[in-house]
Amino acid sequence: MENKKTIIITGTRKGIGRYLSEFYLKKGFNVIGCSRRDTDLKDEHYEHFCLDVSDEKLVKKMIFSVSKRYKKIDYLINNAGIASMNHSLLTPLSSVEKMFKTNVFGTFIFCRETAKIMTKNNFGRIVNFSTVGVPFRLEGEAIYTASKAAVEMLTKVLAKEFAFKNITVNAVGPTPAKTDLIRNIPESKINKLLERQAINALSTNEDITNVIEFFINDKSSMVTGQTIYLGGIS
Amino acid sequence: MKRQQIIEILFRTMKDNIVSQDITITEESNLLGDSSPLDSMGLVNFLVDVESVFQEEGYETQLTSEKAMSKRQSPFRSISTLADFIEEQIIEIDENGK
Repeated sequence: MENKKTIIITGTRKGIGRYLSEFYLKKGFNVIGCSRRDTDLKDEHYEHFCLDVSDEKLVKKMIFSVSKRYKKIDYLINNAGIASMNHSLLTPLSSVEKMFKTNVFGTFIFCRETAKIMTKNNFGRIVNFSTVGVPFRLEGEAIYTASKAAVEMLTKVLAKEFAFKNITVNAVGPTPAKTDLIRNIPESKINKLLERQAINALSTNEDITNVIEFFINDKSSMVTGQTIYLGGIS
Repeated sequence: MKRQQIIEILFRTMKDNIVSQDITITEESNLLGDSSPLDSMGLVNFLVDVESVFQEEGYETQLTSEKAMSKRQSPFRSISTLADFIEEQIIEIDENGK
């Protein structure tokens, strides 16, 4: 068990989180996932924690338990996120709080607690999730993009703070992907958005995984504090 | 946990975090400033290690809590003040039955 790579992925019940869990299980990793609700993913090398990523106490407990069991954490993928498309004039503060709690606070708590374990091993790779909505300054997504802009800045600063222990922190910014996050957005709106990209296509799980694979590669030790957007957006 | 045990853990963790083993660590050893054997990143490492050693021993300590940051006098001044702060915390955790 000690020689296997250990990866923590947040938000693994469905979507890209679920895909990534299965992808890294196939690669022979120990995969530790979490989501608010339970999962039907069963594998002897998969362990699931039911929690809200912004619940500091539960996250601390989870990371402690993971470090005891697996002795080290090699990779963290902060995938858990929520979106809510709404004009800012119609956005209740409770939505703002919810989005920041999951997208920003959750990402921060996982980065902090996991990095504490990674420092002992002098190695770690952290990948956060942003969105092309940030460079697009996407109207109708003021709070979602603001929360992801915060994630990008967190990524840049943590990259500096964790570098002394060979921990890299990067972010991937997918274009819209076929997930629950865009479930309620009209197709015409999505198409308009895709037209603004150099490559007018939705992201696939494979596209996102490809960037993550690049970030967590052993050879990517000089790559940190970066956000890579899909679709040719800069 | 008794104060003496807390001090012993802090001594042990401090020794693991300083390069020169010739330095004598006492309760009055400074953790901050020029006279501290730790530089700023050394202090961060030390505090992270302290948290994790107590966790291993079955105690939760919130060294990075708002309470720690907002104290008029930093609990991170010396081994002794840190031990006081940890002692307060452990008592609080026990009182809540956690």
